[in-house]
Amino acid sequence: MTDLTPICALGAAVPQSRTIGAVTLTENAELGLASLALRRGGAAPDLGLTLPGPGGWAEGQGIAAFWTGPDQWMVEFPGQASQDVAARLAGPGVSVTEQTDGFAAFEITAPEPVLVALMEKLVNVDPARFGSGSATRCGFHHMSIFIIRRAADRLAVLGMRSAAGTIWHALVDAAEQQEIRA
Amino acid sequence: MTRLSGGLIDRNRSLNFTFDGKSYTGHAGDTLASALLANDVRLMGRGFKYHRPRGVFTAGSEEPNALVELRAGNRQEPNTRATVAELFEGLDARSQNHVGSLGFDLLAVNDLMSPFFAAGFYYKTFMWPKAFWEKLYEPMIRRAAGLGSLSMQADPDSYDAGFLHCDLLVIGGGAAGLAAALTAARTGARVILADEDFRLGGRLLAESAPLDRPAAEWIAEVEAEFASLPNLRVMRRTTVWGAFDHGIYGAVERVSDHLPTPGKRVRQSLWRITAKRAILAAGATERHIPFANNDRPGVMMAGAMRAYANRWAVSPAKRVAIFTNNDDGHRTAADLAAKGVEIAAVVDSRPDAPARGSYRTIAGGMVTDSKGRLGLAKVEVTQNGRAEWIDCGALGVSGGWNPNLHIASHHRGRPVWNEAAQAFLAEDGNVAGLSIAGAAAGKGSTAQALASGAQAAVAALADIGISAHLPDLPRAEDEALNLKPLWHVPGKGRAWVDFQNDVTVKDVKLAYVENLRPVEHLKRWTTLGMATDQGKTSNVTAIAVMAELTGQSINQTGTTIFRPPYTPVSMSVLGGGDTGAHFRPRRLTPTHEWAKSQGAVFVEVGQWMRAQYFPRKGETEWRQTVDREVLATRAGVGICDVTTLGKVDVQGADAGEFLDRVYANAMKSLKVGMVRYGLMLREDGFAWDDGTCARLAEDQYVVTTTTANAGTIYKHMEFCRQCLWPELDVQLISTTDAWAQMSVAGPHARKLLERVVDGFDISNEGFPFMACANLTVCGGLRARLFRISFSGELAYEIAVPARYGNALMARMLQVGADLGATPYGTETLGVLRIEKGHAAGNELNGQTTAQMLGMGKMVSTKKDSIGAVLSRREGMVADRRVLVGFQPVNAADPVMAGAHLFAEGAAQDTANDQGWITSACYSPHVGSAIGLGYLVNGDSRKGEVVVAANPLQGQSVRVRVVSAHFVDPEGGRVRD
Repeated sequence: MTDLTPICALGAAVPQSRTIGAVTLTENAELGLASLALRRGGAAPDLGLTLPGPGGWAEGQGIAAFWTGPDQWMVEFPGQASQDVAARLAGPGVSVTEQTDGFAAFEITAPEPVLVALMEKLVNVDPARFGSGSATRCGFHHMSIFIIRRAADRLAVLGMRSAAGTIWHALVDAAEQQEIRA
Repeated sequence: MTRLSGGLIDRNRSLNFTFDGKSYTGHAGDTLASALLANDVRLMGRGFKYHRPRGVFTAGSEEPNALVELRAGNRQEPNTRATVAELFEGLDARSQNHVGSLGFDLLAVNDLMSPFFAAGFYYKTFMWPKAFWEKLYEPMIRRAAGLGSLSMQADPDSYDAGFLHCDLLVIGGGAAGLAAALTAARTGARVILADEDFRLGGRLLAESAPLDRPAAEWIAEVEAEFASLPNLRVMRRTTVWGAFDHGIYGAVERVSDHLPTPGKRVRQSLWRITAKRAILAAGATERHIPFANNDRPGVMMAGAMRAYANRWAVSPAKRVAIFTNNDDGHRTAADLAAKGVEIAAVVDSRPDAPARGSYRTIAGGMVTDSKGRLGLAKVEVTQNGRAEWIDCGALGVSGGWNPNLHIASHHRGRPVWNEAAQAFLAEDGNVAGLSIAGAAAGKGSTAQALASGAQAAVAALADIGISAHLPDLPRAEDEALNLKPLWHVPGKGRAWVDFQNDVTVKDVKLAYVENLRPVEHLKRWTTLGMATDQGKTSNVTAIAVMAELTGQSINQTGTTIFRPPYTPVSMSVLGGGDTGAHFRPRRLTPTHEWAKSQGAVFVEVGQWMRAQYFPRKGETEWRQTVDREVLATRAGVGICDVTTLGKVDVQGADAGEFLDRVYANAMKSLKVGMVRYGLMLREDGFAWDDGTCARLAEDQYVVTTTTANAGTIYKHMEFCRQCLWPELDVQLISTTDAWAQMSVAGPHARKLLERVVDGFDISNEGFPFMACANLTVCGGLRARLFRISFSGELAYEIAVPARYGNALMARMLQVGADLGATPYGTETLGVLRIEKGHAAGNELNGQTTAQMLGMGKMVSTKKDSIGAVLSRREGMVADRRVLVGFQPVNAADPVMAGAHLFAEGAAQDTANDQGWITSACYSPHVGSAIGLGYLVNGDSRKGEVVVAANPLQGQSVRVRVVSAHFVDPEGGRVRD
């Protein structure tokens, strides 16, 4: 076990969290991530879930995945950021890349109507066609991010770790305006 | 006060405001224009060129005259239309474009010089006399240009952006828009109704009896039903200002403009609306009939005069006259007369005009002139050759109506003249998915508008598989205009066509005489329609005048089209709130927190904030710091965060083959555990990007790109993978952010790293130059180590998961303290690489080749790769400029990047240009400034003295051509 102390994407030792009106924003610093791509003729490893198709996110026991391209997924390992999650996917016929530190993840919870209103200010994605189990890559304040609708009242935003501060600022800003409008 | 009875203002709520420092009172529901008229203020501004007095001309967003500055201090906003500025308590408005008071504008002298400002005067100043342009004309024109003034202070308000999606977007909340929204929303379809006004109803609010029941009552019922429909979003104070591709419409919602200050709210929101279908129900703009001196305050559109009376309960004067060529002008006379306003006369150009009321009707008459210094006092009416002057404080002019089809032509759909409607009409589908209803489609009566709105909604929804039914709509007036065209009143005086840009009928005639006859030429020569109102009240009239002059029909003459925005949009809201520090994403390196704690000075490098240098106590100037960092690195060991370099993980059975094709040099042959420098070319053969390629396994490489090109190269590689060679088994993913990567450089680099790696052999034998490996550091942390050098020193780059970057940096400096471990930033990074002669972005600027870089032989002839063939074309190979080093002959002289190189004694011009300095710095190692640059035949001119000239700053420095490698030219240190 290394004696180096990690820091979170927002620069602090502990993850940030804020509740603004009905919206709660949380930095998910413990999300393990690895990309999975099938090689020619390769088969996906058994992850205990059916890997989703385009626009989809699927959840299993302690694992989840969302589609990122033809035969490509990002696999999520909640609470396992310090583990070698890539090793759990490695095998013949697949290309696996550790991505835990490539992204900063933020979880947003809010009652569904509030979350939908918030989404209108965040991303150019139609909330009506982005129900639970949806995931997509989209633009966000001149960046590219992934968003995942984990539940009717939960949305996750995954963006470049280096831009965590910018993403956080935009989320807080949108939540504050949402609160003012409410 | 000339308040009338009725109206839709709230008389129980008085609002105080100021105009040009004088206090007035209006009511809730007023606009600034209606409130000023109610206070007998007719003079609201000055004309653009001639500075003639101007008053309000319309009652809507098409207003060309009543442009004012709103608010003060850093919230001051120029060129705001008083006709759409919603009155609020404490509103501070000022007139603009005058020197001295509004009533006595010193620049009104321009009016006496009007012959000099005729059409095309601006272009003519280009031509003669030649010497006048730069020193006289341009400064004068620039000083005179513009209307209002900027505060020159930063905008204190915030803005945001958002995205909406719907089945149907209805643009405009008048009769047609309300009917369309009602029809569509009742089906359960997702509908958005957007209207620029703060109150729904459009012209229904401006008419006395458009329906068989009070219009306000019907609107209230509709609004109540709207409120009960969750699938309908009503957006008041929202202007849809542009149609874009794929059913996307731009809209601005004025969230707080009607409040004294926004408080915590945003001021405005920018909306991007994606609509499956849209209906343009934006109504129509009345057109005027130019006559001599028709620009006096008090002359206005007749429909606007009626709107002020019916909606805002105000008349611009106690005694008014009407000038019309259709029945609509009589409607204004009737409405105002019913409210007790004296109608001096209705001058109707139609010889057979009927008398429609108890007022005087002058059939076959025309208004031929006007008088009144700061406002209209009387008009001259000519009938059958006999002229008389009629006293009146205001004149309502009605020349017909122009459909507001602007948005329908945003995709270049050209409106077509319709003789029956006497108007240009747009066709459905000019913008895919957009249909047009109501007055915007030439269906001007209220009954037609209601019916066409509902029908358009049924049709639009049917298109997307939703069945809708026509609703019960109130019975409405259905009167025809009975218009007989009259485009301008013949005469010698100046008759204004475009009020905002001061274009007269004479100017149109001059354009005709000077052969600028096509509408596009007419527009540019006269600047007609090029003001902030885009000629909403002038374009068609000018086209008709030109048609008359050329003898062509209006249809043959044609029309210009419109572009977004429909009405002016502030730059701030277009930014969507991304301003100041949040103008663009800011990316921080994994060691940012540590660097900040060390007092680092940061520099923006693209989106990244990088540590530029780390000043220590006593260092008063950046050069001291950088010199220290450079010398400490060359003497001991320096550490720099290089995370920003792009990193791409390349995996798959064909990874080597793939890289062979994208890199100019071979990569397939690279042994596992080794790194190779790589050069990428563009398709045209020019050098594009460089970096390293590390082979971590048979089927895995990690390639690095320059910081600047990280995104571009990754995108390019994905394009190659997906589109050029889909047959290859290769997978790519960016890992730029995943790894914190640090350069550890200097003679003690190995000693330092030995203190952090977990028992890994990094001896020269065990881990030679250009080796790479996966390993662990600091007690089991997974890491990657690359023995590569950008400084000419023994050097490594070590990478750990990004979250540990901060801690590893601190640890290495701690354990390396006795070795002189020193953090360095981008300045030192630059000096080190220039001293070593390494190319970077300055040398790879898109105009240079592998051969110029001295890497011609790297472009392999044993395989094909992108750009290889074109890099060998004749023109490229013939370029003999080569990268070399430069040192000033006089050691105290500077070397300037960007300076061009000339032989001594040669004229410093393009013909004698021999190359340029690409990079320069002060080298503490050499003890003088040094530079890199491209010089013709530079490789065989070592020792020669040339001149580095910077004519822009009057600099000329003699420099000696030397090797590009100022440090360790044999390369022994990196292999040590």
